[in-house]
Amino acid sequence: MSKTYSLTLTIKRYDPERSVSWFQTYRLEAGPILRFVDLFRKINVELDATLAWASSCEHAQCGSCSVNINGRPMLACELLVENAVALFGVTEFKITPVSVAPVVRDLVVDWEKAYERVHRSKPYLIKPKKLPPGMTGFRISPAELSRYEEATRCINCFCCAEACISGNRNFIGPNAAMASIVRMMDPREEGKDERLNLLYSEEGIYRCHTSKACSHVCPKKIDVAHFLALAKEGAF
Amino acid sequence: MGKKLRIHSTLACDVLIIGAGGAGLRCAALLHERRPDLSIIAVTKVAHPQKSHTSTAQGGMAAVDPKDKVDKPIYHMFDTWKGGDCSSDQNVIKKIIEGGWEEVQWLEQKGIHFSRDEEGNIAKRQFGGHTLEFGKGDALRAVFVADRTGKGMMDTVWGEALKGGSLFLNSTVITELLFNQGCCVGAVLFKIKQGEFITVLAKATVLATGGSGQVFRITTNCRNNTGDGLAVILRAGLPVMDPEAVQFHPTGIVGPGILASEALRSEGGILRNRELEPFMERYAPKMKDLAPRDIVARAIETEIREGRGIMNPDHQIEHVWIDLRHLPDYVHEVKLKEVASFFKTYVNLDSRTQLCPVRPSNHYHMGGIPTNEHGEVQDAANRVVPGLFAVGECACASLHGFNRLGTNSLLELLVMGRYVGERVLSYLREKQVSGPKGAGEASLALFANYLEAQGRENLGMIRQEMREVMTRRVGVFRIEKGIEEAIASLIAFKQRTARIAISTKDMRMNQELLERWELDNLLDNAMTIAQAALMRKESRGAHFREDYPERSDEFQFHTLVSMTEFGKVSFGKRPIDMSIYESKGEHHEQFRVMPRRY
Ligand SMILES: Cc1cc2nc3c(=O)[nH]c(=O)nc-3n(C[C@H](O)[C@H](O)[C@H](O)COP(=O)(O)OP(=O)(O)OC[C@H]3O[C@@H](n4cnc5c(N)ncnc54)[C@H](O)[C@@H]3O)c2cc1C
Ligand code: SF4
Ligand code: SF4
Repeated sequence: MSKTYSLTLTIKRYDPERSVSWFQTYRLEAGPILRFVDLFRKINVELDATLAWASSCEHAQCGSCSVNINGRPMLACELLVENAVALFGVTEFKITPVSVAPVVRDLVVDWEKAYERVHRSKPYLIKPKKLPPGMTGFRISPAELSRYEEATRCINCFCCAEACISGNRNFIGPNAAMASIVRMMDPREEGKDERLNLLYSEEGIYRCHTSKACSHVCPKKIDVAHFLALAKEGAF
Repeated sequence: MGKKLRIHSTLACDVLIIGAGGAGLRCAALLHERRPDLSIIAVTKVAHPQKSHTSTAQGGMAAVDPKDKVDKPIYHMFDTWKGGDCSSDQNVIKKIIEGGWEEVQWLEQKGIHFSRDEEGNIAKRQFGGHTLEFGKGDALRAVFVADRTGKGMMDTVWGEALKGGSLFLNSTVITELLFNQGCCVGAVLFKIKQGEFITVLAKATVLATGGSGQVFRITTNCRNNTGDGLAVILRAGLPVMDPEAVQFHPTGIVGPGILASEALRSEGGILRNRELEPFMERYAPKMKDLAPRDIVARAIETEIREGRGIMNPDHQIEHVWIDLRHLPDYVHEVKLKEVASFFKTYVNLDSRTQLCPVRPSNHYHMGGIPTNEHGEVQDAANRVVPGLFAVGECACASLHGFNRLGTNSLLELLVMGRYVGERVLSYLREKQVSGPKGAGEASLALFANYLEAQGRENLGMIRQEMREVMTRRVGVFRIEKGIEEAIASLIAFKQRTARIAISTKDMRMNQELLERWELDNLLDNAMTIAQAALMRKESRGAHFREDYPERSDEFQFHTLVSMTEFGKVSFGKRPIDMSIYESKGEHHEQFRVMPRRY
């Protein structure tokens, strides 16, 4: 047998029936390479079937399992036990749901509410450019694409929005803003005026303080703040 | 307790699309484009359409570029036919492959960020089994978005459906199809967050619920792929087709099963057993580690079964090693960056200095809800069920036969998504029928039963045991005795499920209740897979019977399985379409039933 860890998970729970929340502590033994989603499943099977938590692809491609672990927004599917122990230097973890969306039960939040911001940002070409006559496809050079390609990797896990020091009330948020910035940089978008109106609106990019908390927590390692900075300079 | 379940409300729409992945939303986008006046409801089990499993597809999408000087659609058709072990329907192959490039152009105009070549044109890459001139050379046929092609597609079709005005019902599942006078007229849905049942009446209903990989212990598929769509079809008395045709990818990462691309081996990665022997030399002396997927998967399973595997202590799963230590740094850091980083992230191993654990992982279900080449669902007598359509991985038209080629699934989602949309449009012009009586009673009774059941059985344990049995007995290798044992176990599991008590009684986001229902769906899927695997006494594509290792002409047909009571199945057959061969056109002889040797 390889080494196991004795872990203490203190999870914030919420029961919608009684509208009460509380912290519940689970103690479990786990091998070094179990992920936090595996721990939640283990809790369900061995300790408490009632704990609700979210995930889907479980390999950091869908962004459904974001939670705060010891105060840091992360994907529960990506964090291995031994890495968590190394990162935080403890074997006790406090896990709370993200605050960018209302909690439905325990760690499950209403992602639809968070996504409303992304929808406001119109995650599609508002006015797609027509192909030039005689052409059967667009030409976009790798160099041009590389200016904004990183931003297209965003999975809308909202970890950045959770960490954003500008808060979630007045600012549309880093990932939602970035969804518009990408399309400002995309040569196929002709609806740019509408995008500028949003980006420079009351909830737009001037709410960002360039603290880079977003870039710091992004599980996809996207330099979100870089794109916001480009937008502030108008350097699309 | 004592709360009575009821249908909370009833909605009506023109088209109800159940499953908002690549296939479902491509269909929605077509409908919005053609008929902006239509009301479309798109249902997804995940929290938001973008979280659908299509987003995880990595490699690419196959499509023949008409500007390509060497590649031709007929070569792609041949590869698909041969790759599917001569079990695909040729009318479907032709239709889908001919429609491929149009989809590439559509995606590009809607904003997908395809990777580009130096001239700025869409770049292409090579993929296993895709050849030029009927096997002579390698074809550059797959367009891609770096290593996240599925995400690029998903973002594009979701954006278009959103722009077009689809009404999304997220975190919602279908529990029952509604019929009146033999026509499908909508569905009963369960809204997971709210814990409410609703009925939706629709002029046309499209099923696009994706894969069912959770039937197996180790899978590349997401947590939501519990085969719900197929279970709902079975409960409606309709058949599923070719459920035994299950693809296992040779190299899933232990233990979550995450896909570790074939590229690892094409760059020189070597599979090793417990004694560190490069065992592929024994199984395929010439091609070694680069032999076809099914051969490598079987070799790995043999090593494990004969005691030369390694047990992973954390996940309690046996595996072999993939050795990448001898590869130059630049392969680790540049060429295989993403996959190498998966080993770091998920097993905390540095592939430059350490051996990495892999084993065959369930990947794709070629079978599904039988449809014709327009995506219209068919019953056990191969008659169209009016008003009901199916598309994507949950459907079986069949493009992939008994073995899918990489990149052909994304192609199918898009092309068939569009065709189904077109078919729905012509269907909408036909006579409409009203909603049925007693809609939803079956779903309410089923869920009430779950809530009321008493006993000490553990849901998670049964699920775990079932997935283990399926992986061991109905996985890469199958043999009569093993499959029979699996069927007996499945029956025992089903009996145990009656003694699962659900402690969360409140209906809102009741994960236990959802998982209880999913377990029934998994068991239904597992049972049809096992029964069909037992019936098919031959080996074909991904279906390998140790007791019948050769393909047999006696089984040159599609399996149809219906199951009205758990474990009691009835079989039917659907002929395999040979229309390209029968057309006697140019190259038709390449489309005969031929041995699958590479
Ligand atoms: C890791 C991985 C890599 C892959 N790479 C490639 C590749 O490179 N190329 C390729 O061609 N193929 C690839 N495939 C296969 C391909 O990605 C899938 O077959 C395809 O994406 C399935 O698409 P879909 O639209 O049918 O289903 P999905 O995208 O899975 O969508 C299904 C939808 O149905 C919803 N749903 C599920 N159940 C219910 C229910 N009960 N009620 C309501 N809604 C429900 C889901 O929430 C989702 O919205 C890959 C697969 C995997 C797992
Ligand atoms: S840089 Fe801007 S967007 Fe990013 S966390 Fe700071 S304030 Fe928020
Ligand atoms: S930018 Fe990064 S952290 Fe923010 S939503 Fe996208 S993937 Fe998540």
